Amino acid sequence: MADEDRRRFLKVATCAIGGGVGLAVAGPVLTLLADPAGKTTVTTPTTPLDLGPAEQFRAGAEPHRVDVVAPIIKDGWTAARDVVLGAAWVRRTAPDKLVALSAVCPHLGCAIGWDAIAGNFLCPCHDSRFSVAGEKLNGPSERGMDELPLEVRDGRLLLTWVRYKTGQSRREPG
Amino acid sequence: MKTTVRDFLRERGLGGGGTPAMLAGRASFAYVFGTVLVFLLVVEAVSGIALAAFYAPSSTDAWGSVAYVQDQVTLGWLVRGVHFHAASAMVIVAGLHLVQTALYGAYKKPRELVWWLGILLMMLILAWAVTGYVLRWDQAGYWANKVEVGIAAATPVVGGVIRKLALGGNDYGNLTLTRFYALHVLILPAVVGALTAGHVMLARKLGPTPLGDRERTPRPRWPDQTLRNAIAIAMVLTVLVVYVVAVRGVELAAPADPSQAYDARPLWYFRWLFELRDLSGRAEKVVALVMPAIVAGALVALPLADRAPTREPRARVAYLGALAGLLAVIGGLTVASFAGDARDKQLAKRNTQAEQRAQLARKLARLNGVPASGAADVFLTAPMARARAVFATRCKSCHDAESMDRKGPMLGAGHFNRSWIRAFLKNPSGEPFWGRTKLAKSDAAMKSFAQMPAAELDGIVELIYSESGATDVDADKRKRGLDVFETACSDCHAREDGMPGTSAPGLSGVGSRAYYLSFISNPKSAFHMGKDKSEMPRFDKEISLADRDALAEYLVWLRGATPPDLAALDQ
Ligand code: FES
Repeated sequence: MADEDRRRFLKVATCAIGGGVGLAVAGPVLTLLADPAGKTTVTTPTTPLDLGPAEQFRAGAEPHRVDVVAPIIKDGWTAARDVVLGAAWVRRTAPDKLVALSAVCPHLGCAIGWDAIAGNFLCPCHDSRFSVAGEKLNGPSERGMDELPLEVRDGRLLLTWVRYKTGQSRREPG
Repeated sequence: MKTTVRDFLRERGLGGGGTPAMLAGRASFAYVFGTVLVFLLVVEAVSGIALAAFYAPSSTDAWGSVAYVQDQVTLGWLVRGVHFHAASAMVIVAGLHLVQTALYGAYKKPRELVWWLGILLMMLILAWAVTGYVLRWDQAGYWANKVEVGIAAATPVVGGVIRKLALGGNDYGNLTLTRFYALHVLILPAVVGALTAGHVMLARKLGPTPLGDRERTPRPRWPDQTLRNAIAIAMVLTVLVVYVVAVRGVELAAPADPSQAYDARPLWYFRWLFELRDLSGRAEKVVALVMPAIVAGALVALPLADRAPTREPRARVAYLGALAGLLAVIGGLTVASFAGDARDKQLAKRNTQAEQRAQLARKLARLNGVPASGAADVFLTAPMARARAVFATRCKSCHDAESMDRKGPMLGAGHFNRSWIRAFLKNPSGEPFWGRTKLAKSDAAMKSFAQMPAAELDGIVELIYSESGATDVDADKRKRGLDVFETACSDCHAREDGMPGTSAPGLSGVGSRAYYLSFISNPKSAFHMGKDKSEMPRFDKEISLADRDALAEYLVWLRGATPPDLAALDQ
């Protein structure tokens, strides 16, 4: 019986040590893998980005696709220059008014294109259609295209890039 | 419930059942080393997987990704430190494992295969460490690898091919890293894992060898031996973690840079070879190749040579003595190598400089990120980095306070601020100013204004200072300076836009960025010093416009800088 007790004690001790060792190894490793959860690993410039002279956009013309390029962003450890963040559709709606719509589809994030024949926007992934003003026409997207903040300073068009959450009817930066 | 789960598993062939593993004799701490090694392998695997989630095997990104883990990921330094030092622990424990096995005569029939597998595993683990050291792509790993591959490349006949295969091409680059990475995280883990499984299976089947020849009653392994193994594992892990915390993980040198010399040292377990190579002079290549082969050959030959059935240590003194001698030589060479370095004062100095460079690189990587052009360019993200690099190569010898052959005025912190201008006016041909120029010794030298009344001097200082474009100008003083200028200076100098003086440089914009740019471009122009008065060459053909402008910007920055500001650029 005494030997039984001894063996039981040894078994418990072995398992306890083993468990402790396992936790000690797993803890830091899981911390590492979870590290990106609370971080902005890829930065987006919060200041407006220069899209070139504002006069290139004519009233009455079709929407014009422009690449949105960040002069510098941090991507993990890299400081990357001239990074294409995405694209925007810019249109002059009145002689003194310009509107920019994000080309990121609010459904699941594909790149929206301009359907010149139909005269409206079409997302090729799941056929969401949007009017020239960006309102939702048909397809699975739950909201219209996202408008991006725009301003003209010294004749240059300045756009602030925002990435909105996709797949929901509410417009929410994310 | 508990029993049902257990039964469920047992019926399906998992857990328990079968005959319990037995030991010949009592459980012992002498048998723990193998299990500890397997545990360390698991630690390497797990920490390695975590690190692989951050690592980028490319010559532009590798260092940056390691620096990121080291300095910006929570506990990254700890996991990286454990991964590095656990390899050292493996080498130590493998050594103990080998000594224990030899002492107990466990290499003898029928365990020769286990022994040989063990020797092979030990060599593979050393190779594994080599493949890992280069991955960080810092100066230490890069240069150590150059030496290691250089030794392998000295192999007769096939050396060149070995080098190309190791580097993944003709020189160090992206393909070197992808290759070593594949070796380090895919090929070697698979090979070592499989061989370890074979080694352990065979060893388990044959059971541990008790000391001496006496027959012993068999006892079950579980739980007596298992507990000892667990205790040993817990102890090794504790020592490892405490050590890693105490030495703050593992160092990361500056990014690999083929143009920057570095005192390459191999990992400590290769130090004996390093020392031996050093001692053997001209024969170094042969020694570096042949010695490991001799050591491995001796170990492999042990079970073949010592074939008597007895395992009593006393009966094997010759063999054990030879092994002890071998280990003593390796240990002695290792100590000699470290002792030699410790005595070398020059080396210590170079290492300190290398360490400072590493700290600077890591600080800049943390603050500014690593340029996409490569980690070595991280230094260019420092303020004024480009200008200072150009300054160091093109300007320093004539303008630095420390230069032995300085010919022109000193350029340093506070250049062209008020007190500099004042001191200059009081003694233009003084040592820090034109003192070393030929101009100072000629009739054309500027005269001293040391006798000028203080208020007037203040005015003229403010006036000249204002030309630099500084924003903190005292308007009243400057106005006074205008009058003084007319009486005291305008005979020689002019301050109208772009106008040269009658016999001395024009002063419009003096100390501004545009002025410096123009001066550096051509100091001999009529506006500046004129054809004969300056020894400084024109640089508009030799230094690019961007670099000249960077220098001009730097000179403007110096005006507001203090010596500590200047020193801080390098830290
Ligand atoms: S992503 Fe655009 S329609 Fe689905």
